[in-house]
Amino acid sequence: MTISWVLEILDAELLTGQGAEGRELASACGSDLMSDVLCLRSAPNLLLTALTNPQCVRTAEMAEIAAICFVQGKKPPAETLELARRNGLPLLATGLSMFTACGRLFAAGLRCCGEGA
Amino acid sequence: MDSPRHVGKIRELVYELKVEAVMTRKLITLAPEAPMSGLRSILKSNRISGVPVVSGQTLVGLVSVEDFINWLAQGGRDCPVGERMSREVRTLSPGEPLVHAIGKLEQYGYGRLPVVDGERLVGLVTKGDIIEGLLQEMQVNSREEEELHRYRASHFFEDMIADRLTVNFQYQVRGKTIEQGGEVASDLKRSFKRLGLHPEVVRRAAIATYEAEMNVIIYAREGTVDVSVDPETIHIIVRDQGQGIPDIQQALQPGFSTAPDWVRELGFGAGMGLPNIRSCARSLDITSEPGQGTTLRISIPLEPERVCA
Amino acid sequence: MRLSQIAKALDLEPRCGDLEAEASGGYVSDLMSDVIAHAEAGDLWLTVQIHANIVAVAAMKELSGIVLTGGREPEAETLRKAEAKKITVLASKLPAFELAGRLYQLGLRGRERHAGGI
Repeated sequence: MTISWVLEILDAELLTGQGAEGRELASACGSDLMSDVLCLRSAPNLLLTALTNPQCVRTAEMAEIAAICFVQGKKPPAETLELARRNGLPLLATGLSMFTACGRLFAAGLRCCGEGA
Repeated sequence: MDSPRHVGKIRELVYELKVEAVMTRKLITLAPEAPMSGLRSILKSNRISGVPVVSGQTLVGLVSVEDFINWLAQGGRDCPVGERMSREVRTLSPGEPLVHAIGKLEQYGYGRLPVVDGERLVGLVTKGDIIEGLLQEMQVNSREEEELHRYRASHFFEDMIADRLTVNFQYQVRGKTIEQGGEVASDLKRSFKRLGLHPEVVRRAAIATYEAEMNVIIYAREGTVDVSVDPETIHIIVRDQGQGIPDIQQALQPGFSTAPDWVRELGFGAGMGLPNIRSCARSLDITSEPGQGTTLRISIPLEPERVCA
Repeated sequence: MRLSQIAKALDLEPRCGDLEAEASGGYVSDLMSDVIAHAEAGDLWLTVQIHANIVAVAAMKELSGIVLTGGREPEAETLRKAEAKKITVLASKLPAFELAGRLYQLGLRGRERHAGGI
C-alpha cells in the first residue's frame, strides 16, 4: 500500500516528505508508547500515534520506521516537523481517531508487522 | 559527483517512480457547460495551456489553447466548452511508471496528460512535475547513498593492522529535556553506519542506547555514554549519578515502572526500557546504589546471529 | 455489541469483571490525558498500559471495559482496583492495530468528532 493510498483512506494530509507518496508501506502499528514500538522484533513501516513530540521521530529513526501518521487531528510542534525533515521522514496527519484509522487500514489490507499476508 | 552514476540512477527512477508520486492533485477543471468565452482568462491567469473537462468526477474531454484559437478563428460565437473540447483524450493511470508518461508526452507532443483512475480524474502530469519529482527523489537517494557509500567504503577493521584494535566513542547526556532526548543514539547510529557495521546490529545498538539515554534523562538528568567497538563486540556503558534502582530484578520485569504520570504522557516510562535493552543485547549488566547512581553495561556482538534475543 | 460476544469472537480473555456490558464504540490510546479528553461513555478501550491509573480513568469516563493488547497482563494493583470499581478488564495477544481492525470488521466504530463515523 502506498503512502498516497493511506492518505486517501485516512483522509489525511502529508506534512513532510512530499515526493514520497509512492513509497510502499507493508505493515503498521498503533501506539502512543515509544518503548512499545521499539521492542517489536521487526519495525512496522507505518506508526499511527497520538504522540506528537520529537521522540516519535527519534523512535522512527532508531527502529527504521518508514512513516508516521498522527491521529485525532493532532498537529506536531515545529521541532518534530524540523527533525522529520532532516531525517527525510514522511509525517501524515488525520482527523480520524486511532480506532477508526486502524479499522480502515486493516480493512484495506494493511497488517501488523511480523505477520504474513 | 560523477555524473554517469547519476544518469544511471535517473534511468532506474523513471521505471521505479509511479505517476501518482509526481502528479499534481490540485486541479483546475471545467464543467462541459462552462462558456467558451471564459476560457481565455482561466488559461491566462493560471498560466496553463489546457484544462480538463469534468462531468461529476468523470473526465469527458480536454480543452486547450489550440481549441480556443480555432473557436476564435471560426467567429468566436459563445457556446459551452463541451462543444469545442477534444473528446479523444490520452490519459495515464496512477500506477504507471514515469517512463510511460515521458513516452506519451513525447509521442503526442503534449505539454500535459490527465491521470485517471478508472474514469475518475485524479491528477495531471506535466514535464515540470516529472522533473521535479525526479529531482526530489534523487535528493532522498543521495542522502541514503551517502551512508551506503561510506558503509561500502570502510572495511575498517579489515584495513587496520594491530594486535588488538578498539574504537572508542564518548558522549555526554546533559541538560536535555525528554523532548530533546535521542541525540546520542542518533549520533552513534550514524557513526556505526559509517563504520560499516551490519544494519541489524546498528539497529539493536541504536535502540538500546536510545532507551538508556532516555532513562538517564528521565531519572538522573545527566550521565555519560562510553562505547567501544572491537572486532567481535560492541560494549556500551551508560553511567549516571541519579537516584539509583532499589530492586534491579523488579526493574527488569516488563511493565514495572516508577515513572511519574507526566513521563508516561510523553510516551516513555511504561516499564519497557530495560527489558528492551536486554532483548537487543547479548548481555546486560546493571549495578546500582540507591542515591549514588546506576551503571548499565550492554554488549552486542558484531555478528547479528549471535545475539540471543 | 455485548462484551461477551466480542470476547468470544476475538478470543479475549477476561481478567476481571463481567461481560454483560454493551460496548457502544471503540477507543485506542496509551495516553491517559487523551482518553480523559476524547473517549466516550460506553467505549471499549484498547491500551498497552497496565498500571492502576487505567482503572480510575475507565471509571471516570464510564467506559464499557479495558482490553490490554499485545499480550500484556494487568499489575496486581490494577486488578484490585478494577474489582473494587467493577471495571471489566480483558487481555488479548493481538497488537492494538490488529485488534482494532478486527473489532471494526465486527461492526464496532470509533466515534468521530467530524464526519459521521465511517
